[in-house]
Amino acid sequence: MVGIVQDVTTFNEYQWSGDSYELQIIGLMFPSLMVEQPDYSLHPPSFAPSLASAWEFSQDNSVVTFHLRQDARWSDGTPVTAEDVRFTYLVQKDPRISSPGLEIKDFITDVEVIDRFTAKFHFSRVYPYQLMDANDGHVIPAHAWGKVPLEKWESTDFEPILVTSGPFRLASHSRGQTLVLERDPDWWGSPRPNLDRVVLRVIPDVSSQLNQLLSGDLHLLELIPPREAGRVRAHPDLELIAQPGLLWGFIGWNNRDPVFADRRVRRAMSLAINRTALVDTAYHGFAKVANGPILSSMWAYNKAIQPLPFDPEQARRLLAEAGWRDSDADGVLDRGGRALEFDLLYPSSNPIRHDIAVLAQADLARVGVACRPTQVEFTSLLARQESGDFQATVTAWSEATKIDLTSAWTTPSATQGSNNFMAYSNPEVDRLIAAAREESDHTRAKVILDRIQEILVDDQPVTFLYEAQQLTAISRRVGGADINPLSVFFNVQDWYLTP
Amino acid sequence: MRQGGGADGGSGARRHNPLLAFALRRLGSGALLLLLVATATFALVSFAPGDIASRLSDPRIPPAARERWRQHFGLDRPWPERYGEWLGAAVRGDFGTSWLHHRGVGAVLGEAVPRTLLLTSVGLLLELAGGIALALSQIRRPHGTADRTITVVTLAAYAMPTFVVALGLVYLFSFRLGLFPASHLLSPEGEMATGWRRVADLLHHLVLPAVAVGVAGAGAVARYVRGSLLDERTQGYIVAARARGCSQWRATLVHALPNSLLPLITMVGLSIPFLVSGSLVVEVVFAWPGMGLAMYNAALARDVPMLMGGTVVATVAVVVGNLVADIAYAAADPRIRL
Amino acid sequence: MSLSATFGDASPRLRAGLLVMLALSAAAILGPLASQDPNRITDPPEAGLLPPGSMRSVVRLRTGATLAGQQLRFEHDSLVLLRLGVTETVTVSNVERVDSVRFWLGTDALGRDVLARLLCGGRVTLAIGLTSLLLALGVGTCLGLAAGWRGGLLDGVLMRLVDALLAVPVLFLLIIIAALFRPSLTALVLLLALTAWTGVARLVRGQVLTLKEREFVLAARAIGASPSRIAATHLVPNLLTPLAQDAALRLADLVLAEAALSFLGLGVQPPLASWGGMVAQAEAQVFHAWWLAVLPGAAITLTVVGAAVTADGLAEMGRS
Repeated sequence: MVGIVQDVTTFNEYQWSGDSYELQIIGLMFPSLMVEQPDYSLHPPSFAPSLASAWEFSQDNSVVTFHLRQDARWSDGTPVTAEDVRFTYLVQKDPRISSPGLEIKDFITDVEVIDRFTAKFHFSRVYPYQLMDANDGHVIPAHAWGKVPLEKWESTDFEPILVTSGPFRLASHSRGQTLVLERDPDWWGSPRPNLDRVVLRVIPDVSSQLNQLLSGDLHLLELIPPREAGRVRAHPDLELIAQPGLLWGFIGWNNRDPVFADRRVRRAMSLAINRTALVDTAYHGFAKVANGPILSSMWAYNKAIQPLPFDPEQARRLLAEAGWRDSDADGVLDRGGRALEFDLLYPSSNPIRHDIAVLAQADLARVGVACRPTQVEFTSLLARQESGDFQATVTAWSEATKIDLTSAWTTPSATQGSNNFMAYSNPEVDRLIAAAREESDHTRAKVILDRIQEILVDDQPVTFLYEAQQLTAISRRVGGADINPLSVFFNVQDWYLTP
Repeated sequence: MRQGGGADGGSGARRHNPLLAFALRRLGSGALLLLLVATATFALVSFAPGDIASRLSDPRIPPAARERWRQHFGLDRPWPERYGEWLGAAVRGDFGTSWLHHRGVGAVLGEAVPRTLLLTSVGLLLELAGGIALALSQIRRPHGTADRTITVVTLAAYAMPTFVVALGLVYLFSFRLGLFPASHLLSPEGEMATGWRRVADLLHHLVLPAVAVGVAGAGAVARYVRGSLLDERTQGYIVAARARGCSQWRATLVHALPNSLLPLITMVGLSIPFLVSGSLVVEVVFAWPGMGLAMYNAALARDVPMLMGGTVVATVAVVVGNLVADIAYAAADPRIRL
Repeated sequence: MSLSATFGDASPRLRAGLLVMLALSAAAILGPLASQDPNRITDPPEAGLLPPGSMRSVVRLRTGATLAGQQLRFEHDSLVLLRLGVTETVTVSNVERVDSVRFWLGTDALGRDVLARLLCGGRVTLAIGLTSLLLALGVGTCLGLAAGWRGGLLDGVLMRLVDALLAVPVLFLLIIIAALFRPSLTALVLLLALTAWTGVARLVRGQVLTLKEREFVLAARAIGASPSRIAATHLVPNLLTPLAQDAALRLADLVLAEAALSFLGLGVQPPLASWGGMVAQAEAQVFHAWWLAVLPGAAITLTVVGAAVTADGLAEMGRS
């Protein structure tokens, strides 16, 4: 029995994606060519066989040939073939399917069916993430879902025509309530799952989730709030798994704003905020201070970068250098008749970011900066960030294991849209990021990435705050679980339940 | 000199059936209201910051995907144009497909509305029954100890935030005493079962959320009924009944109570929209996914077809609720003309 | 009737109600002067989420940071602090001041004093709640009277407006308003009144519909009394009981609605405390820090009980 916050809205990941928990559940029922290994701290992730039993690169590395298992079957008995792999690729690339993954396949020009069990992926360039991009997205059944015209795809309910091929299959689904998955006896993979059923219960309220976990109704619960971790850890029947996760948080400064366009001001903000105390308080020790744009658990992290210390004195000096003085002696710095004050936005539904905003406000007040924590409804906040209508915002990103700094840190283009809502712009960084992206060898790419990290830490386009740990609670009755940040169900086949 | 509310214009129909004429007139104005509310809602949703594509804010998702979504859902076009399309389809009974659920809005509402109705109507019944019972026990000895205690308790129940009440019920009756399940409509076993076992499981799950829905309202009902009962007792007809030798209790129950319930009719009429739209907090705490949760998620996601569908349902409930309340009011108090 | 006579004649109920309200007001007005700074953050890892009655030694460093400890002793030129179960040594020259603080009502997750926040929040909450309540009562009564008495088109239009406000997803209206306006207390009061007047109007209209068919009103009309006179002498006095009873409950609604509004970015913004906001923030911690939800909840209840008892007392006076 597993607790989840929200029901899955679809079993077809190409209708909607972006919610990683949904992908985890879909991953129990659909095959992928390979399985990404949680070894991103050493090098770009490697892959283990799954639907593809073997693969090889061409001489010039521009073509990858995948050999599929011949015993793989869909739940209706039809074999899983190279046609399914090609169909999946066509769906991913079709602009009528507004799959957010379309750009991921940018450098894959074609997927060619050689025979029933062999598919060739043609790439337009050679780069370290070819296997990752080829593997992205689960394979879907062409014979069952190919009948749905692509223009009707978005408005189709795929549950009635659900055909799966994973360790588990759907036994019953009561919407918004319970999702029962049962072991698929005909599944072709190995090892076969031990568990008969995985029951996913939708529990929207965090307090209720925890109560049902602590009372023994749930065996597994993800995303334990840090403030509750102590209670879980103290429970004799539960194990708390705390490991470096992929989520990191920061205060984004609007680099278009005349105040925050000044690098000295941004640095002063980071120096004035006691980030260690902030992380300890808001995350109860289940996070570490973030130093730069790449997670410290990633292979590409620059171990040599010097994080900014907590140094209010230096912050005051930098602000004075930038012309901010308390000329009217009201405790708030000013320049040219304008006080150094701003709204610090944070999403109203998030108690952790509330604490962060209030702590940052108290720290900044000590150096004469008046910051007003301001709650904003979540979707409105995202819209304000996107349109640049903010001065500062407490936000967090979930990082991919593929390291590509393009969309977050290069100068946003007017036409393309960008995730760099801070509008940070540094031509040298733009050039280096492009160079890192072109680089086919990851050790050479690392040299460039190291330099980018140095510059970004120097420029402080944002105040890097924390790298959150991923907290998962699992009952001691569940054995064999290897939970990692990629997926809670990483080796679900090996799990077993002791009485 | 008669100025009865809305007596104008209906004299022809009145001869046949004043009630029917009144109902028809109100339904006519209700249709107008529906159009107004739908237009206003569509405009509001369009002007609100953010749209469904804003949610794709993860840096793993390419920014171009956002623009593609906007085009896909037509969000790059002006809202009156989109509204026209929606309205055209809606009058034919087609409310479109939910952007979030990839299913027809009708199908999603068809699941959510019955769940909410079950919860809120049972909650409302508990609220009325509990409130009236409390008021009657208070009125036996006005200003006595029992009266005062109940006054304070009902006010406290009303003033306590719903989530405190709901979580308190869960803590006490589920985790401590183990009497009722803490959440969901059915247990996993109940979902497999059929017939009476399923119904029994559902009712067992219904108890705590329905009480959570009813607690605050029961306090309000008790207050209104107590107040009107006290007022009625000084009225001539009660004094007369008492003088005829009618017992205090009988005078209260038979004569005063029906009149005291009049203001309640407005209250119940007002709560008919609530019957349909549900309580978000109770639905979240008890994992009872009805209209409250559906509309909240739709609002966060800016799922326009869902929001419009839900608003239409809510508006119809308001119109019908008012109509029922006014008719019931007239039926209960013959002095009021429709 | 003079003011002193009013008080002299007042029933025990009215007196008790007024007493509660006065005590609350006094606490809200004077309390913040006597208590500590409601926004002071005290070493959250050690002093956060302390239950009521806890005591800590608080060392304020020259950097502005604070350290809290369960025990404190002096050794030569340094302070030795028992913090998080470990002894920590601080050189005296780095210390600005040392206090021993008792948190009578505990602390929140950031180590802020709940008593101080309750007192300060009371000031904000009572001011906002009562102002918006009076506004809603005024507008709602006038419009309800007009609609119920005049009937016809005016009634139709007003009541459909009320219906529309009930049916439109108010959440969106508020989201848009939040996007358009900077949050301010005036805007907040207006918004709260906007959400509350419809209920008052409906209640008044319903009552007027019944009252205007009653014998004494019919009689007054028969002798040619003017509508405003009838309203003043017959309708309003008879409306007082239901209105007063309604008002107390509505006050509770408004106080809780304020918390909901601050979630949309419209209400009282942190770090300023308000009771509704304190309750809302306590939601995620209700099981391991009960005092965070229960104390502001109790404060709201006390206010509502006080208001209700006062209202009942007033209604009683109206009856006799």
